[in-house]
Amino acid sequence: MRLEAKLALFNALSKLLLVLLGAVVIPPIVSRVAVAHTDQRLREKQAEVVQLIHRSGISTFVQGEAYADYNLLKQEYITLTPLPATADTVAHSPRIFNEPRQVDNEIEDFRILSEQFAEGGRSYRLEIGSSLATVELLTGTLRRMALWVLVIGALLTIVTDAAFAHYLLRPLRQLIVRKLRGVHHPSAFSYAPLDTDTTDFRRLDNSLNEMMRKIQSAFEKEREFMSNVSHELLTPVSILQSRFENMLQDPELSHTHSLKIVDSQKTLYRLRNTVRTLLLIANIENEQYLRDEAVSVAAVLADVTNELDDRLAQRELRLLEDLRPDYVVPQANRTLLFTLLFNLISNAIKYNRWGGSITVEGRPGPLGGYLLRVTDTGPGIAAEHLPHLFDRFRRFQAGASAPEGYGLGLPIAKTIAEFHKSELTVESEVGQGTTFTLRFP
Amino acid sequence: MHVLIVEDEKSLHQEVRQFLLQSQYLVDSAYTYAEASEKIFVNSYDFVLLDLGLPGGDGLDLLREARQNERQEASFIILTARGAIDDRVKGLDLGADDYLPKPFSLLELQSRMQAIMRRKFGLKRQELTFGNGFQLDATGRTLRYQDQDVALTKKEFDLLHYLLLHKNRVLTRLQLGEHLWGNVLEDDSDSNYIDVHIKNIRKKLSQFAPTDFLETVRGIGYRVADAG
Repeated sequence: MRLEAKLALFNALSKLLLVLLGAVVIPPIVSRVAVAHTDQRLREKQAEVVQLIHRSGISTFVQGEAYADYNLLKQEYITLTPLPATADTVAHSPRIFNEPRQVDNEIEDFRILSEQFAEGGRSYRLEIGSSLATVELLTGTLRRMALWVLVIGALLTIVTDAAFAHYLLRPLRQLIVRKLRGVHHPSAFSYAPLDTDTTDFRRLDNSLNEMMRKIQSAFEKEREFMSNVSHELLTPVSILQSRFENMLQDPELSHTHSLKIVDSQKTLYRLRNTVRTLLLIANIENEQYLRDEAVSVAAVLADVTNELDDRLAQRELRLLEDLRPDYVVPQANRTLLFTLLFNLISNAIKYNRWGGSITVEGRPGPLGGYLLRVTDTGPGIAAEHLPHLFDRFRRFQAGASAPEGYGLGLPIAKTIAEFHKSELTVESEVGQGTTFTLRFP
Repeated sequence: MHVLIVEDEKSLHQEVRQFLLQSQYLVDSAYTYAEASEKIFVNSYDFVLLDLGLPGGDGLDLLREARQNERQEASFIILTARGAIDDRVKGLDLGADDYLPKPFSLLELQSRMQAIMRRKFGLKRQELTFGNGFQLDATGRTLRYQDQDVALTKKEFDLLHYLLLHKNRVLTRLQLGEHLWGNVLEDDSDSNYIDVHIKNIRKKLSQFAPTDFLETVRGIGYRVADAG
């Protein structure tokens, strides 16, 4: 998962948690606030009533029986009740409590402030009530509002946080898209500095550039080394080869010496081919070859069979070509693909029985891509040798009947396959033959 | 035929020189960039065999310089052991006529030179007659005996042609093999493919006339004798 997605997800989750917490915590707080608010109002009213009584005298309100005042919707009431002069009618300061009261044949819960006081030698009880339904209505409204504010706030911050993270992480995205994705070789790397003022990204970018420069310089050194080595090795080989050729032309050379020179020539060719092969592999691995042509497998195969026709005929081998359909390798190097197929097929010729056959079968891969299989009818390869088949300088068939070779054909094939992002595998059954499978992506 | 060898490696230089002298070429030598530059400016050659890594400069610059000199009509063949892949492309782009990576066979060098000469003088048909009435047309790639076509495979034809080009020389199997499959890195240099080819050529030709001219030199290789 990308960093930005992770941040957004974490952000959303934490906000959700906050909203849930709010949903749990806000209602009791709100109702407490509402109750406190109601109590405060009741006390204010009580103070006003007391003031009125002082100013106008108690008789304005109470003449013998109790005074009661309700507002129209029974949300509030004020009663002033004269109390009989008994022991429990001592004056007490205001108390606030919840109690049901009957108002016009209806029983409702009220928040009540009750106070008893003495005035003009008599005791009175003052009650100011506020309907609890009203209080709850208020708490409900407050609660809803608080939750809405919370949810909207959460959503807003989620969006702004995501947008900010998106903005903040832009350099990182650019770093990945421009510098890392699709870079298989330092020469394809972009050294343009990243546009950012975030110190961490700046540092990341700088060290990435520096590292790539180091790798590139190492690559260049290796390339230079390969170039020097090839020069230093191939020049002496070249001298010897020319000298042997000149010596063979000498009419005074004895036959014995001629044979020795031919033998030396063989040894020299072997050295030359080994050096060339190693250079080829090194050059491919060093990305010295371009992969810029669309190449048809059938066309390359035709070139290869054209080169190998005579060898097939000499060993009375049949080559069965079965490409259904042909495949065009989109980014390929034709010369290298030729070498790859040439090596596979010349191998199949070399290690075949007299009068056998070679099948080249091409099919679309089951999971996309393309499969090319080269199957021979040779003696097969023992299972224990298969894992090392593509190792350099390894050959398995010993003895006089073994074909001459230096075990570099298959490593070359493998290197070229990898250069084309494809996979070269081998299956074999002793006595049945061997199949090389080339899997294009 | 006047040839300038530009090669700083003395031993190789001497071998190429000896070979060309034996083949009746007129040979001139340069071992450094400056020497070569001066000789190319002063003299006119048919061929310049050019090594790329020279003391004092890059052979490719020498080629560029020479191509700007209108009086110099030499054909350039680049001989190099440098590993770089694009040298070949660059060289041919600059107007080199051919490119031979070291190590190369002197015989291959000679046949490349002959091919360039034929191209240069517009010789449309190159016909070689041999063996009492065989005629090989290298351009049309046909072999005839008097008025009859002799059918050879591509490799058989190339092999016979190469032997004819180097008449009276013994060609080893390696030299022949390198000519036939020169571009392909092969690791079975000791194969008997060449022997089978020769056997087939003899079989096909002997239906028309004796093939004594195609000699086997025991343990070494094959030769087309002049007598034919």
